[in-house]
Amino acid sequence: MSERYRTLFAKTALITATALILSPLGVLAQSTTAPASSSQSTTSASKDRWLHVRVMSSDAKGETVRVNVPLELAEKVLPAIHQDRIHDGKVKIDIGHVNDVDLRALVDAIRTTKDGEFVTVQSNDCDVRVAKQSNHLIVHVLDRQNSKKSEVEVKIPMKVVDALFSAGKDELDLVAALHALSAQGDTELVSVKDHGNTVRVWLDSKNVTD
Amino acid sequence: MMLLAKAALGLGGTIILAGAYTMREGVIRVDVDEFRSGGSHVHMWVPAAAVPMAMHLVPDKHWRHASQQAREAIPILHAIVKELKKYPDTDFVEVIDHDQHVRVRTRDGKLQIDVDAPDEKVHVLCPLSTIEDVTTQLEEHGPAA
Repeated sequence: MSERYRTLFAKTALITATALILSPLGVLAQSTTAPASSSQSTTSASKDRWLHVRVMSSDAKGETVRVNVPLELAEKVLPAIHQDRIHDGKVKIDIGHVNDVDLRALVDAIRTTKDGEFVTVQSNDCDVRVAKQSNHLIVHVLDRQNSKKSEVEVKIPMKVVDALFSAGKDELDLVAALHALSAQGDTELVSVKDHGNTVRVWLDSKNVTD
Repeated sequence: MMLLAKAALGLGGTIILAGAYTMREGVIRVDVDEFRSGGSHVHMWVPAAAVPMAMHLVPDKHWRHASQQAREAIPILHAIVKELKKYPDTDFVEVIDHDQHVRVRTRDGKLQIDVDAPDEKVHVLCPLSTIEDVTTQLEEHGPAA
């Protein structure tokens, strides 16, 4: 090998070695900066069902809360919790606090009843409506007190209510309710609107909120 | 010069292999800044691959103690991490309150927790596989194991 090629090879080897030595720093830099710069969520699990909670406040502080929970995750994690009243995905309810009302019998009665309005209250301050409509239990409250109107609407599929009360007499089966919820289509479950705040709880197949 | 080049190639090759092995699972990053007098400033970068290796060096009695302390949380943590691995790039919780911002999300298979407030900043980034390794070790050293 001529002296010229020998020098060229040596220079190439030195440059290659320098590049090799510096490359881990590049990897390190990428691994630490990439998460901070990335702000897009992928749709890696877009076929899953997601429960979203969004709280928006229109006051000066502009509070915003966004929670996105895959129902499957909640279904798997809840049975692992064993604390206080929660065991195996079920929560014990204090019978003393429901004034001897047999909740399961009540739910059963609602389920077997045809669509209709169960409770309607209309007053100057407040309207309340509890109804069963298209296999959904609907609770609607309109509060007009203090000249600041607030509105609450809860719309729960009856299958979810059934599943919730499918455990023992003094238990609510959260996992069964989540499982039943996951079989539902996109739906808004809770909506609260008042002069300064908006709360929404809804179900869809997207892993991001708007 | 030829000898120097060969030595540099050998050294470079060794460093790239060691670097690739050490960084294969990414980095655990903890940054804590408390903006008050006497506040803590912690900045820690640890290769995630070093954690399973370091766990082998922890004496059993310390594992048993840690396992005992965390016995109620371990099954929950294990279930959460196992499920979170199915959602490697997802925003789970975001709270914005005036000048405070809290975010819990996964990015590239890492759990990322960011708290930005006027008086403190906390940023934690940890591969889910590392959390799973630690919880598995804690489970194995638990009373039932």
